[in-house]
Amino acid sequence: MMNLLHISPIHASLAVLLFPLAAFLYQALRGKQDQSGIVGLLGILLSTAASAFFVFFPIWQQTPVEATASWFTVGKHTFSAGILLNNLTVLMQLLVCIIALPVHIYSRVYMKGDPGIHRYWMYLSLFCFAMLALCVANNLLLMYVFWELVGFASYLLIGFWFTKDAAVQANKKAFIVNRIGDIGFLIGIALVYAHMGTLNLSELFGKQSPLFEQIPLWHTERWMTYAGLAFFVGAMAKSAQFPFHVWLPDAMEGPTSVSSLIHAATMVAAGVFLLATVFPLFNESILLVIAIIGTITALTASYFALAQQDIKKVLAFSTISQLGFMVVAVGIGAWNAAIFHLVTHAFFKCLLFLCAGAIIHEMAHAIPAAAKVDPQDMRNMGGLRRFMPYTFILMVIASLALAGFPLTSGFLSKDSIVIAAFEWAVERGGTYLIIPIVLVLVSFLTAFYIGRMIFKVFFGKPKLWSDEKVTVFHEAPKGMWIPMAFLGLCSLFFVFSFNPISHQNAALMQGLTLLTGFQPIDSLHMFIPIVLITGSAIGWWLGYRWYVQGKYPFQENNAWVQHAQKQAYINEFYQFIIVRSTLYLSRGLYWFDHYIVDGLTNGAASVTRAVGRVSAWVDRNLVDGLVNLVAQTSYYAGHLLRWVQNGRLQNYMGFAFTMVLFGILYLVLR
Amino acid sequence: MIPITHFLAVSACIFCIGLYAVISKRNAIMILVGIELMINAAILNLVAFGRYDKADYGGQVFALFAIVLAAAAVAVGLSIILMTYRKYKTINPDQITDLRD
Amino acid sequence: MGFLSILIFLPLLAALVMLLLPKSAAGSAKYLALAATAGQLLLTGYLYVHFDSAQAGINDVNSFQYVEQLSWIRLQIGADKLLEIDYFLGLDGLSLPLIVLSAVVMLMAIGASWNVTKSVKGYFALLMLLNTAVMGVFCALDFFLFYVFYEVMLLPLYFLIGIWGGVRREYAAVKFFIYTLLGSVFMLLVIVGLYFSVTNPATGANTFNMLHMMNPANYGEESFFGWVRNFHEIFGIPARLIGFAILFIAFAIKVPIVPLHTWLPDAHVEAPTPVSIILAGILLKVGGYGILRICIGIFPDMAALSNWWLGLIGVISILYGAFNALAQKDLKRLIAYSSVSHMGFVLLGIATLTTEGISGAMFQMISHGFLSAALFFLVGVIYDRVHDRDIYNFRGLASHMPRYTVFVAIAFFASLGLPGFSAFIGEAFVIIGAFNSESVGTGLPRWMAVGGSIGILLSAVYFLWTLQRMFFGQTRFKGGEEWATALNDVTMREQIILYPALALAIILGIMPSLVFTPLNESVMRLVSVVSSFL
Repeated sequence: MMNLLHISPIHASLAVLLFPLAAFLYQALRGKQDQSGIVGLLGILLSTAASAFFVFFPIWQQTPVEATASWFTVGKHTFSAGILLNNLTVLMQLLVCIIALPVHIYSRVYMKGDPGIHRYWMYLSLFCFAMLALCVANNLLLMYVFWELVGFASYLLIGFWFTKDAAVQANKKAFIVNRIGDIGFLIGIALVYAHMGTLNLSELFGKQSPLFEQIPLWHTERWMTYAGLAFFVGAMAKSAQFPFHVWLPDAMEGPTSVSSLIHAATMVAAGVFLLATVFPLFNESILLVIAIIGTITALTASYFALAQQDIKKVLAFSTISQLGFMVVAVGIGAWNAAIFHLVTHAFFKCLLFLCAGAIIHEMAHAIPAAAKVDPQDMRNMGGLRRFMPYTFILMVIASLALAGFPLTSGFLSKDSIVIAAFEWAVERGGTYLIIPIVLVLVSFLTAFYIGRMIFKVFFGKPKLWSDEKVTVFHEAPKGMWIPMAFLGLCSLFFVFSFNPISHQNAALMQGLTLLTGFQPIDSLHMFIPIVLITGSAIGWWLGYRWYVQGKYPFQENNAWVQHAQKQAYINEFYQFIIVRSTLYLSRGLYWFDHYIVDGLTNGAASVTRAVGRVSAWVDRNLVDGLVNLVAQTSYYAGHLLRWVQNGRLQNYMGFAFTMVLFGILYLVLR
Repeated sequence: MIPITHFLAVSACIFCIGLYAVISKRNAIMILVGIELMINAAILNLVAFGRYDKADYGGQVFALFAIVLAAAAVAVGLSIILMTYRKYKTINPDQITDLRD
Repeated sequence: MGFLSILIFLPLLAALVMLLLPKSAAGSAKYLALAATAGQLLLTGYLYVHFDSAQAGINDVNSFQYVEQLSWIRLQIGADKLLEIDYFLGLDGLSLPLIVLSAVVMLMAIGASWNVTKSVKGYFALLMLLNTAVMGVFCALDFFLFYVFYEVMLLPLYFLIGIWGGVRREYAAVKFFIYTLLGSVFMLLVIVGLYFSVTNPATGANTFNMLHMMNPANYGEESFFGWVRNFHEIFGIPARLIGFAILFIAFAIKVPIVPLHTWLPDAHVEAPTPVSIILAGILLKVGGYGILRICIGIFPDMAALSNWWLGLIGVISILYGAFNALAQKDLKRLIAYSSVSHMGFVLLGIATLTTEGISGAMFQMISHGFLSAALFFLVGVIYDRVHDRDIYNFRGLASHMPRYTVFVAIAFFASLGLPGFSAFIGEAFVIIGAFNSESVGTGLPRWMAVGGSIGILLSAVYFLWTLQRMFFGQTRFKGGEEWATALNDVTMREQIILYPALALAIILGIMPSLVFTPLNESVMRLVSVVSSFL
């Protein structure tokens, strides 16, 4: 019996990704007959168990394990497929499992009765497979494969309700924007391959790698800069960094459970995971670019989140903003902090979405179908605290975690990023300080908008119902709030660290040690959290004052609010500048193709035909004309002579005599 | 003595008249007449040149021969014309075109 | 009679039998065609399984497999000249995958033409003739023989498009025929020039043997295409360069490259579905194959000299084709232009002159072979039902024809290079090869690789846009109720045809070694031949 438990982590982790794959294949074959999703749930359950007990615990803080099998050979290079298990990858794999499991349970209730539910389970299992495989892939090509596959699954799930126009527009947009990133990733892969001759992660970045030995030397190479940039573009698209963030808010057209799993917790974080994986490639200048982009993303997204009315859009921008935090962390070299935040963020953001889903679910059930009210619009909510107490509590926990209040996981991870950013900036001094200061500002904004959401949704008076009709609105069903409660538990500090105020003690951070280039500054570890907490508290207070007490200071059509709500018109900008110009270009080129290129072909054909006609004319009239002329001439000559031979004796006589006469004349006159 | 030139001139005139008749007349009889005239012109020449053959009178002898032959030929000719007339109801040679292509 | 001869002449035999069929039995022609093609597929399967992938082929007759060499034409010209034309067949890593592909695509085409009613006998006989020619092209190692098969290919296609085609079929057929002929006529000149330049070292006679043409030592000194002391010039351009360029253009028309591509959309749009399948699935590959085996094999020095231009043409084809596809309203035309774009990758990959790039190009050809066949077949499915292909006349097909939509979505995503499908491997390796080109010194600049990858992006754009416009949203047809009843979901026959193509796309995407393994040695040999001239 004990033998059975000695499964090698490699096999176990293979099993982890094969369970959802098997579930996907089974559901794909069963088609419409499989509505319950029990197979998908079973798959992810087994995966979670295997991942936790047979992969995570044996590997965490132990020596990394790798297994490869040759995949195919091109030229002299053999491309391998394999599994790499180290602290980072097993952590990611476990995280994905742990987030996916409650989402599956939640979906069983949330998606019940949807006519396309069999597709939903299928796609979800596909996503889980691809995402779990992405985490443990041991070479960049394989990673790319699953990188795109998660994007594909995300495409399918965003467009799950494919009869809705907005949904299909959104999934197209998501895929295409992600494709831009994929191209970057592919270019990065190609560059690495061209210069290093391998794509295997441990060969590239392991201790035996030439890269490892002489990183500073390599970093001066130009191609490194380009490769780093290319990988970063890949990560930017996947992790919705400015200016590629536009797909994520639109992706909220998918079912909310999907948004929570894919577009909040796991897939979008894959960009950060990629950055952490290829971190040694980045030289100073690229890291700075990464930090700057992350900062811009965090700032703009939190700014846009301030004015959104759609509850899911608020959360979407909040996700983008938090991803910006993680990217900044990578940019300053503290990718362990980024991963830490990735993990904590996954839990509370997933929870936020699930809570939002519960609210939307109840709203949609309570609103009469004819009323044409958007169940996601926060302006239609209010006072839900009394009807949905569990949801309320859980959402508050998640919001506090997002805002970074003490005792929550968000406090630990966010502080670790901000502190690292300060330490990094102080080391460099001067203008670099802008980055941490912006991050602090973004933290305040985050606290404000998430407070705004809580207050608008749960406080005040219900907008659509009077208090008496309580019956139409009730708490989310058990199948939904139990997984939510689990996530709520995971959003608290003790899951990560027994010391609620020090991120350095977090087990996670200890698992991902790395040498940062900057000195820790102890005083910041006191100062920063205090500033952040104070700022966040002020943010919540403001939110309470404005939205619960009704002292909202702005006009309805305040320019800034409008600007933020319209996302600074970036979508419109893209639509008008990029999409349109591409279409015009394509039409122009088609015109060119049709009239110029094909026109030349047809022109050549008509010229040939014209030449043919000319030569036919020449042939008929000149060449043949000459022949005919000769023929006609002899014909007329013959005709003329024939007239002499008319059978009249008298004529013959006359001629004969004339000739004789001539003969005589000739003889006479000679 | 009449010089030979005068005979020849007369003969030439008669010949020409005959020739004209042969070429231009649309009547077979008249053509026959023309032929006779031409024969007679020839006979006249024979007679005229006969003076240079006083020993044998070859000219006169030939002339007699020719007259006899001409008479026979006229007889044959007239009979052909008669037959032609019977067949074609005309003696205009232009209208008898059976051999024409 | 070797395997390859059987492979080539089996369909011809079937065609002859078909022609002898009495009129009452004309319906059995299709069964005959099916049997012949299935036999071919089995045969190619046998060849594939028994192929020794350690043998390189390319320029060494000993490492070719299933070689058949018979003297065919021996004509004494003058006192000491001997015309030496061989019936010379052989198989190496370049030709094997294409032969298997041809058999598969041909079988698909036979399946797709199951409902042909217009003079069935002639139709299938022509199809079989085409089949013979195609197989011959891929097996021939004698240039003369190659040319014969190459030209014979045109004839059945001309009639297939011209008789069984759409509205403007005559125009399309003539355009296709003349365009292709234009290239091959000049090719003949080069063939003759090569013939006079190359002697068979064994007999001393001039020869059409391609393998002899690949060996610089066989060229006579000061001969027209000779390597040593070659002063021949045409308009001031060295003779070898001219020869290379002419051969390249001849094959490039087939590929096709921009700007010599305009026959393709017309031919595709007017051709009946099975012919479109063959055109896209096999015929375009003849071009790529010719460039690899003949242009690069015989003129490696010139290939090394001019690969920059080849790469440029490839990138232009990729981008230009993609943009044009984006502008199309006719679904079939869209796919035709996407073919131009995807075949651009083949050219770009070849131009890299790296193992990765050329392997990628070959893989792309194979992958595009059955993916484009599947795509054209899918277009045929709706065209058969409502005789309309305009993208804007359909909407929300996903609700109406769910199964069909699944097939289309798989085919689209496979074509746009989603990993897990074959096109991804092909495109990725072309791009990787293009980047690698600078590192190994074949001199393809990296912006070309970037340009090529933008093509990947654009292919996602036009395919997804089409999906969105035609398949998603609320169901609405131009033809209203009438169309709604006509548009029933895919039938069993259609599914049987589609499954293998899409299954192959997935299998090759997951196990690319199926193609790369037999290919590898040959590609390495080819690259090593070229790399000595870089």
